[in-house]
This record gives sequence, C-alpha cells and structure tokens, in this order.
Amino acid sequence: MRRKTWMTALTLLVLSSLMLAACSGQAEQTNEKTRTITHEAGKTKVPEHPKKVVALEYSFVDALDELGITPVGIAQENKTDVSGLLGKDIAFTEVGTRQQPNLEVISSLQPDLIIGDFNRHKGIYKQLQKIAPTIILKSRNATYEENIDSFKTIAEAVGKTKQMDDRLALHEERLNAAKKKVDPNDDRKVMVGVFRADSLTAHGETSFDGELLEKIGIENAVTKTAEPTVTITLEQMVKWDPDVIFMAEADPKLLKEWKNNPLWKQITAVKNKDVYEVNRDLWTRYRGLDAAEQIVDEAIQLLQQK
Amino acid sequence: MKDMRRILIVTVLVFFASFALLSVGSIQLSLSDLWQSFFGGKDAFIVQNYRLPRTVLAFLAGASFSLAGVILQSVIRNPLISPDVIGVTNGASLFAVLTIALVPDGPLLLTPIAAFIGAALVMLALMMLEGGGNVSRSSFALLGIAVSAICASGTEYLLIKFPLQTNDSLVWLAGSLFGKGWQEVMILAPVLVVIGAILFYQHRQLDVLSLSEEVSIGLGLPIQRTRHIFLALAVILAGVAVATVGAIGFIGLIAPHMARRLVGHKHLAVLPMALLLGGGLLVVADALGRGIHPPLEVPAGLITAIIGVPYFLYLLRRERTA
Amino acid sequence: MQRKRLIFVLLLLGCLAVYSSLFFGITQMNPIHLVQEWISGTTSKAGLVLTNLRLPRLLLGLLLGANLAVAGAIMQAVTRNPLASPQVFGVNAGASFLVVLSLLVFPSLGTANLIYFAFAGALVGGVLVFSFASVRGMTALKLALVGMAIHLLLTSLTKGLILFNDRITNVLYWLSGSLSDASWLELRIVLPWSLAGLLLAASLAKSLAVFQLGQDVAVGLGQKVTRIRLLAGISVVLLAGVTVAVAGAIGFIGLMVPHITRRLVGEDYRIVLPVTAVIGGLLLTYADVLARFIAYPYESPVGIVTSLLGAPFFLVLARRQMKGGLR
Repeated sequence: MRRKTWMTALTLLVLSSLMLAACSGQAEQTNEKTRTITHEAGKTKVPEHPKKVVALEYSFVDALDELGITPVGIAQENKTDVSGLLGKDIAFTEVGTRQQPNLEVISSLQPDLIIGDFNRHKGIYKQLQKIAPTIILKSRNATYEENIDSFKTIAEAVGKTKQMDDRLALHEERLNAAKKKVDPNDDRKVMVGVFRADSLTAHGETSFDGELLEKIGIENAVTKTAEPTVTITLEQMVKWDPDVIFMAEADPKLLKEWKNNPLWKQITAVKNKDVYEVNRDLWTRYRGLDAAEQIVDEAIQLLQQK
Repeated sequence: MKDMRRILIVTVLVFFASFALLSVGSIQLSLSDLWQSFFGGKDAFIVQNYRLPRTVLAFLAGASFSLAGVILQSVIRNPLISPDVIGVTNGASLFAVLTIALVPDGPLLLTPIAAFIGAALVMLALMMLEGGGNVSRSSFALLGIAVSAICASGTEYLLIKFPLQTNDSLVWLAGSLFGKGWQEVMILAPVLVVIGAILFYQHRQLDVLSLSEEVSIGLGLPIQRTRHIFLALAVILAGVAVATVGAIGFIGLIAPHMARRLVGHKHLAVLPMALLLGGGLLVVADALGRGIHPPLEVPAGLITAIIGVPYFLYLLRRERTA
Repeated sequence: MQRKRLIFVLLLLGCLAVYSSLFFGITQMNPIHLVQEWISGTTSKAGLVLTNLRLPRLLLGLLLGANLAVAGAIMQAVTRNPLASPQVFGVNAGASFLVVLSLLVFPSLGTANLIYFAFAGALVGGVLVFSFASVRGMTALKLALVGMAIHLLLTSLTKGLILFNDRITNVLYWLSGSLSDASWLELRIVLPWSLAGLLLAASLAKSLAVFQLGQDVAVGLGQKVTRIRLLAGISVVLLAGVTVAVAGAIGFIGLMVPHITRRLVGEDYRIVLPVTAVIGGLLLTYADVLARFIAYPYESPVGIVTSLLGAPFFLVLARRQMKGGLR
C-alpha cells in the first residue's frame, strides 16, 4: 500500500511542478502596434510591419516575394521547390514539409507572423498561434478566386495593400491581354490532368488552374465535380472527352501503355494531337501570381501553335 | 524486496532518461542548455512548450497502454493480447477518423471523445459477440483480431472517401505526438491516476484472475463481474490514450512482458514496473522520432511498430502457450 | 450441395456477373445496340469502352479472383488453419511494400517488371509469417497474431515511405486494391504467371489430401510433405504476387472463398480447387461492380468492398472457431 501511495504522490508532485514551470514560460507579447486580420480560422492581431515571416505554402511565398518580403522560414518538400517558384535562390530556413511543419524550428526563428494553409494547417492553428500571430488562408485545393483573396489578405497583414493592389491590377491587365489572344470561336474544352503511374487526377473548373483558364475564356471539360480536383479513370476521361489535354505530369510507362489503347485514341484531344506536357510544379503546385501568368501564356501558346 | 529495488532503479533510470531526452529534437540542445531552459532563456519556449508536454504525455500514454495491456493479459489469460490486437485501438481510430471526416471543423475535444466511444463500442461488441460467456479463451482474442480488421478496413475506406478532410489522419493514425501539448496531458493524467490507483488497490484480484478459472471461483471471486469491470478499466485507459496520441501500438504488448520478466507475476510489482517501462518506451520512441531526421518527424507509432514487431515475434518464439 | 444444382447456380451467377461487369458503369450502354454494332461491324464509343475497358476488366477480375481464392485454398490445406490466406500470411503486405519501395526507387518501372518485386515481397512476407507462426506448433490464434504483426510492420514501413515522399501519396488508393485501370496489356502480363500458379496448384490437388490425415501421418511421410509444402509455397507466391503487382492488395477473397467452397462441395481438393477458382472469380467480379457504384460516378478501390464483405465473414469465422473448431 505504501509504495502505491508513494508513487501516486510522486507522480502528482512531478506533474504539478512541471505544469507550474510551463505556465511561466509563455511567449512574451510585444507592445508593437497591431492590426487585426480576419482569416479562415478567425481573427488575429498582427504586428503592423512584420519583419520575420514564416510561410507554410508556396503561393504565400510567391505573394510575399511580390511585396518584397523574403520569409525567414518556408516549408518545402524538395530542395528545388522554392528556387523553382521564384526563379531565384533566396536564403531561408527550411521548417519541415508543408504537410508537417516543424514547430520547434519555426519557434526558434522567433517570427512575428506565420501564414498557414487552411487545408493542411488548420489543425495546428492553435499551436502556431502560441509561437507568433498566425493567419490561415486558402491555397491548396482552393479556387483561383480564393487564392487571389488570400494574396489580398497577406498584403493587408504586412501593410502593403497598395503594392498588392497594383500588382493585382497588373495581373488583371495581363489576363485581359491574354483573353484577347484567345480566339472566341475556339470552343475547345481543355482538361488539366496529373497522370501518374498509380493514379489519374483531373483538375476541374473550380480548381486553381481550371478556374484561371476559364477566366480567360478557355473552357474546362471537367465540370460539376464534387471537389476541385478528382481522381478519375480512363473511362471517365472518355466520357468527358476533352478537346485538349494538358498533362501536368506524364508517367512514361502509362503513356506507353495507352498509346495502343483504342479508347485513348478515341479521345478528341488525342485524335487531334492536342495533348501537351506541362510543368506540374508550375501548373498545380505553386499557385502564385507569376505562375498563373505563366500558365496562361503557356496555355495560349500551346493552343494556338498550329 | 528485490522487486522493490528493481522498481526503484527503473524509476530513476526512466526519469533521468526522459529528462535527458528532452534535449533531442530539431534543435539539438546540450544538457546544460537543457537545464538552463527550465528557468528561461532562448530555449525555454521550445522545451517548455513542446518537449516537456510531449515527453510527459508520452510517458502517460505509454503507461496507459501498458497498464491496459497488463489488465487484458491477466483477465484474458493470454500473454499475446494487447489493446491493439484486441481491436480497441483500431476501433478508437475508426471513430476518430469518422468524426474528422464528417465534422472537419468540429471542436477540439470532439475527436478524443469519439475515439473513446469507438474503443468502448468495440469492447462492448466483443463482449456481446462472445455471448457473455467466459472471456478467457484464445477465441476472444481471435474475435478481437477480426473486429480489429473490420475497423481497419472501415478506417481505410474513410481515408479514401474523404481524402482532403482526413489529410492529417495519416499522421494521426500512425500515432504521433506532433503538436500535442498540455491540453492532452490534462485529459489523460487524471484518468491514468484514478484508474492506476484503482488497479494498485485491487492488485490481488488481478493476481487471482490470472490464475486458472477454478481457482478464481474457488476463492469466491464474482468472476464475470470482476472481469468485466477490469476490462472496462482497460478500455477506458486505452481509449483515452488513443484519443490523445493516436493509434500507437505494441507498447501495451511489450511493456507488460518486460515487466513480468523483471519482477515476476505478482501484480503488486508488475503494475508499477509496467507503468514505468511503458512510459519510458514511448518517451524514447518519441525522442527517436524527433531526432532521426530533423526537421522531419517520424511518428512515434511508426517507431513502436518497427521496433515492436520483431520483439513481438521474438516473444512468440519463446512463448510456451498461445 | 448436389452437383447439378451447384453447376446451375454457378452458371447463373456467372452470367449475371458477366452481364453486370460488362454493362454497368458510367458509360451508358445499350446491349442491344452493341450487338447490332457487332453484327454490322461498326464501332461506337460505347463499343470501344466495352471491348477495351470492360472486357479486359471482367477477365482480369475473374482471373485474379481465381488466383487469390486458389492461393487461399492451398494455404488453408497445407497449414490446416482456417484463417490462412495471402492477406493473413503477410504475403499481400510483403508484396505491396516491395512494390511501393520499387516504385520509389525505380519510378519508371513497367508493370511487367514490377511483378518480380511483388513476387519477392510476397515470398518474404509469407516466409516470415510461416516461420514465426509454426514455432512450437501453429494454432489459428498464433497465425492470426503473427500475420497481424507482420502485416502491421510492413504497412507501417509502407506508410513511412509514403509520409516522407510527397510524390506517392496516391499510392494509398492503389494499395487498397483496384481494378480500375485494367487493360488487355495487364491481362497479357498476368496470364502466364497465373496459369503457371493455377496449374501448379491443380497438380497438387491430390497430394493436399495428405495434410488432412493429420500431423503425425504427415510427419511419417516426411520428404513428400516438404516437397508439397515447397510447391504449394511457389504456387501461392506466383498467384498472390502477380495479383498484387497488377491490382494492389485485395484482401479477404483468399480467406472467404475456400470456406464457402468447402461447405458446398466437401473436402476433396480435386473438386474444391476448380470450384474455388470459379467462385473466387465471381466474387471479385461482383465486388468490382459494387466498387463502381459506391461512390458513383467515381470509383472506389475494390479492396475496400472485399474488406467490407469479408470482415464480417471473418468475424463469423472467428466465432465458429470459438464454439469448437473448424476444419
């Protein structure tokens, strides 16, 4: 009996002392002026001019770069992701993957703003908040418009709204210019697909690239989907029968197998040899303004090269 | 007395190891840095907000799984049983993933509660299917494995049907302490303390139950009721543990075994030893997960599986009865 | 069950399976039109879907279902354990793991070459489970426990691989077992290996009776038993391995079907094996049809359907085992 009571008491003692120690170690609040930003997970008081920003999604990095801010910490999977996104090398600390950012590393950077993705990071919003003011915005699996909204919020958060507005105006201009280049009589429907050895995903009209293309007048063959991106089969592709296919990843083995498949050859895009390989990172993973403009240019160029 | 000494030694070892392992992580700390961080300074935030609660939680969860394992093994009289084998862990996972899928933006406490309900339902189902009869044959274990498989299939189905909502579940399913903090500790600690106390006070009943049935009856124990109560305690422990840290397996299997090897079969000694070893194991697994490949984290559940399975197989080879 | 009745029922089920597998799906098909087409020699889109997707899919389903069922039947006979099946024995998990690993290391490996990795994995998984479970006598429980442990180990390792490699997250879908990209090419690849496995199994049919005579007699026959075990093992690896390589890890068929068959036709493996093959093929085909409709218009992995069907079956089996042993 004695041993049990002793052990229980010891455990309780240790636990309570630890908790006391923990409570005294909360992050200090600075007295800097703040701005309240409304985002997908609520409202956060963000310092007026954040200097050290941690970005947990590539589109956010792109937006920050447009505003002249280099994040101190970025979450990335492949070493070339960020340099590919921005077209240049920047110095930053890797804080883990986008899927699992490392809280310790983020906190060691002592940031004053963290920007997370709604799809991936809303679960750890509270933990991120403990480190620094955090805003959660939509990027992954969101529509083009939602992504633009996210950029606007980022601009608001770092106090550079005017700069973003200018950039967005420029973006609109470029899109409109692109739209003019699109032949109004060209009613070909396109499909953006990711063709991997083990799966087929189509980006529908509500996905980032899908909506973007719709905006400049290029219609999407993949309509009325439950989610912006969906897993599909060859049969479904045949049903939708796109006139043009942009392959955002093309597994060579798969293509070889299909080359001889009469169903594949039935698809209008294949019949007209309107199947183009495009860069997966650019088209589906980056979701930035630069990326969007490049996608649009590439799409038009490919569509009109004949 | 020999047991008491061993328990004390292990206690000291586990506490020192846990303390030292606090230094492991993406930001590697030296022991003196670690000591400093308790009082403030640049590492204080990391240690006090991440490592400390994680380590405490790991200890508590490991201890919970371990005690649940002790109960199951004694009551069902099969040393190869544990909460994961019997389906409690998978049932908890299933319900947790179900809630995440259906109510992705629900309150934070919803998932743990759902997980607990899942665990309880599995146990109830098992007892019903068993026909309310004797709970101590290997058949019960077989049933548990079957139910476990069903829950696993169900979970897999949900993961595929709701891939975006259940994105995080992958990590959660492997069992991980990523992002866990004092909140989870507060949920688990009282449960463990209360049930642990009950177990310690009733250790003799456990001794009796783990003997043969005739002896138990002969000693006047109201078998059915007692068995069911203990099983319920095991489920609560395991269920709440899964609710807080996800489906971490093998601790409930290995720790009781190791405990018995060190201090024999008397529950008076086995219970505290299993508690310590289980807690220590998970602390080590979590530390390994943090330190293997920073800044990436390997979920602790993956590590316990990779270490646990070979040990389990080794146990099987040595086991005389199955 | 009377032979004539059985054959009749199987034929009926077979026709239903063929019809539903060929004509159900997202592409609208009118059988009458299609027949007219066939006669007149024209092709429409629906017709192409029929000949290029549905037909190979049906055949593949029948073949792979037969593979799995026969593999399960052999395992149950040789180990005299009613729970034996490629899934429980870790054969599926082993094959899956090695396939995922090879997809990572050699991303452009064709299906034809993936098969070798699947075989290797199937072998490793099966051998591991077999050796650990048979220490000091294999009981149903021990087998289930070891199988579960190995399965858990391999799936954890596989999950680990997936977690750290963003590129292959979709492999989860495939891992659950899917027939959605069945094609003539796959059928061609699978056919020789399946036939080899099935023929090998057929040649063992008479010998499998040896195992039913009991452990002691089997030991007395010594050498012969080892040889049969070896051949059986090869057959299982071929059958399960090729199935996993092409369609992922489809569970429960190898477990359920032999039981159903034995209840229908008794214990003579010369009859059990072919009937098992047929029922296995039919079951997988039906499961595949279901898989097309659970989440219409999107497809679900067929492995999920077999799990949903098979898991309760497993439960009933475990319950029976409890009440006094099955054979």
